[in-house]
Amino acid sequence: MCVGLSAKVVRIQDGMAMVDASGAKKEISVQLLNDVEPGDYVMVHAGIAIAKITDEDEHETDEVMEALLA
Amino acid sequence: MSDTARKSAAQILATYEGPSLRVMEVCGTHTHENFRLGIRKLLPPQVQLISGPGCPVCVTPTGYIDEAIWLAEHGVTITTFGDLVRVPGTDKNLAAARAEGARVQVVYSPIDALEYAKAHPDEQVCFLSVGFETTVPASCLAVDQAHEQGVDNFSLLVANKTMPHAYAALKDSADVFLYPGHVHAITGTKLCEDLVAQGVSGVVAGFTAKELLTAMAAALVKAREGKPFFVNAYPRVVKPEGTPAAVALIEKVMEPCDAEWRGLGVIAQSGLQLREAYVAHDARKKFDMPHIEGHPNPGCRCGDVLRGQITPASCPLFGKVCTPLHPVGACMVSGEGACSAFYQYGGDEL
Amino acid sequence: MSDTVTLAMGAGGRQTAQLIDEVFATRFNSPLLTADDAAVLEPPRGKMAMSTDGFIVSPSFFPGGNIGKLSICGTVNDLACMGARPLYLTCGFVIEEGYPLEQLREIADAMAATAAASGVNLVAGDTKVAGKGQVDGVFITTTGVGELVPGAAPAGAKAKPGDAIIVTGDVGRHGCTILLARDDFGIEADVTSDCAPLWDSVEAMLGVTKDIHVIRDATRGGVGTVLYEIASQSGVGVRLDATAIPVDPAVGGVCRMLGLEPLYLACEGRLVVIAPQEVAPALVEALRACPNSQGAAIIGEVTDERPGWVVMKTEIGSETLLPQPTGELLPRIC
Repeated sequence: MCVGLSAKVVRIQDGMAMVDASGAKKEISVQLLNDVEPGDYVMVHAGIAIAKITDEDEHETDEVMEALLA
Repeated sequence: MSDTARKSAAQILATYEGPSLRVMEVCGTHTHENFRLGIRKLLPPQVQLISGPGCPVCVTPTGYIDEAIWLAEHGVTITTFGDLVRVPGTDKNLAAARAEGARVQVVYSPIDALEYAKAHPDEQVCFLSVGFETTVPASCLAVDQAHEQGVDNFSLLVANKTMPHAYAALKDSADVFLYPGHVHAITGTKLCEDLVAQGVSGVVAGFTAKELLTAMAAALVKAREGKPFFVNAYPRVVKPEGTPAAVALIEKVMEPCDAEWRGLGVIAQSGLQLREAYVAHDARKKFDMPHIEGHPNPGCRCGDVLRGQITPASCPLFGKVCTPLHPVGACMVSGEGACSAFYQYGGDEL
Repeated sequence: MSDTVTLAMGAGGRQTAQLIDEVFATRFNSPLLTADDAAVLEPPRGKMAMSTDGFIVSPSFFPGGNIGKLSICGTVNDLACMGARPLYLTCGFVIEEGYPLEQLREIADAMAATAAASGVNLVAGDTKVAGKGQVDGVFITTTGVGELVPGAAPAGAKAKPGDAIIVTGDVGRHGCTILLARDDFGIEADVTSDCAPLWDSVEAMLGVTKDIHVIRDATRGGVGTVLYEIASQSGVGVRLDATAIPVDPAVGGVCRMLGLEPLYLACEGRLVVIAPQEVAPALVEALRACPNSQGAAIIGEVTDERPGWVVMKTEIGSETLLPQPTGELLPRIC
């Protein structure tokens, strides 16, 4: 139901951040997240950052699989 | 995912010998990605993926589109996500209204809609606020800002919905739910854990190939153990506590109400409406809109599809009068609607 | 002369002559360009190809080109796709009253430069001025005549199972550029249109072999639409390798942001080429040596399975269908 875009925060001002997804840049709101800094990755949906995230899914899925098979 | 982990996920899918399992993709983006990545093809025959109600476009009732067209025909500029433009109303869709001269502007975000309103003070600008917990905060942010900044030409036509009551309404439709990752990024995972006590099993899934494979593998491994379970397979985005500021913002701006879901009927307290403080931005009240009742095509079985009771191909209209180019029902419109996905990706053959 | 186009400039009198002389004739300085009612030309040797195309694009200036460049590339590429060397081109303008002359000069400059780069002569033109609001800026129609290279006869119905599918560069850049230039979504990206004349690329391929089954320029609807058309015309299946399709990273980023498929974004300087597997590597090598097709790549093959459909081998090695085009591209958030 919700196309998400993982993007890197380039700069922040007044609760708005410029994010970059492989060179596509867009100003979005980061008002709902604490402690977001340039260089962080966020999950963007409909113009707002909904979560601070890690950029890649490799480590995550490895851990889930390990826990699952333990 | 490392190669070993991916192999083991794919191996789990390939070698599953457990009982037959109905897995519901609550989220339409999961339906879309499972098709797009070809994940369905990797599943054992006794595991059936069914598409749920988690496509805001699909569950939005016909009458809502009629309301938007009523506004457009009364001179209001409609700003909307692209998803809604081709959804059929009773007589026509927004694309047809636009062709007849209505102003319909596709935007990426409610915040962009607010910016449009500020840049066009001589127009009344209404944003079509649909979507679940993931999308609601963006609408709330926009309307809250409009309220604070006195942007009085900006309003919302609200048909937002929330998932908890839908889960309850659907709990017998599937054995395992693939929970919508981005909804739970906002709301956290407490609800999913509570559902375990009610016998409802589920996995919060992400959206990349690795994440979807992992989530499916988790569902199959746990299902074989035979007791209700919950796994968060999307921990890089979904935290147990969710995004508290977003939840607080929704609470500040909107309140629960009964809501009509296409196909599921009215589910008590499953919708949202603007609180009294924001009445000046509530399009229904602001423009004195009459009560509008929509009349969907009587042959359309989107409802049964959304409840997972029939596959799209079982609908008599599917692929004949109802195609992505000429959609009759909402499930054929949205890129992630079950019917559209089945039609576009060749259904169960692939 | 005023700074903008006036209705009088389209009335056929002295001001029309002045507009044509000052803006067009000085730039299109081909010896064949007629000042009379029709150009008188040497006929092509052997068979000729003829094509016409109308151009409306908003905005008419965009990174990587403008409507003038587009109007030459479009018709030159249509001829090239038939294996025809472009010879002559005519152009018809419909210009909105009040259109800045400076922009019209820039458009004419681009047309002259692109025609020269494609080796085609602009031989006749027409100018009409429409009242304010009756057209959006400037509309251009070009008609071209080309000379078929003997032995070459590519056509949409000639794809055969086993053939290789080549694309001459990264996909969807023009469509993405226009989408960004309209600025409806507040997205910025360093993307320039792929708009380019492609006769030299086709000529280079025909130097390798005349046995090229299909050449198509992937304009409106993009590479995906063209592949569905070919699959249907030839009664064959198409299998693409998702990981082999070249997409500029920024175009990919914009597409992910808006939920769009790059294969359905327009290109204005990309060909889809279908040819026997054994010549494909040599064709790619020849294409990569040409300036406008350096990014050429083999992206899939023609099959006898699922005639009429485009199947994708996905990033995880599974299979799915490429959804069919549904007309207007609408960004989606869900």
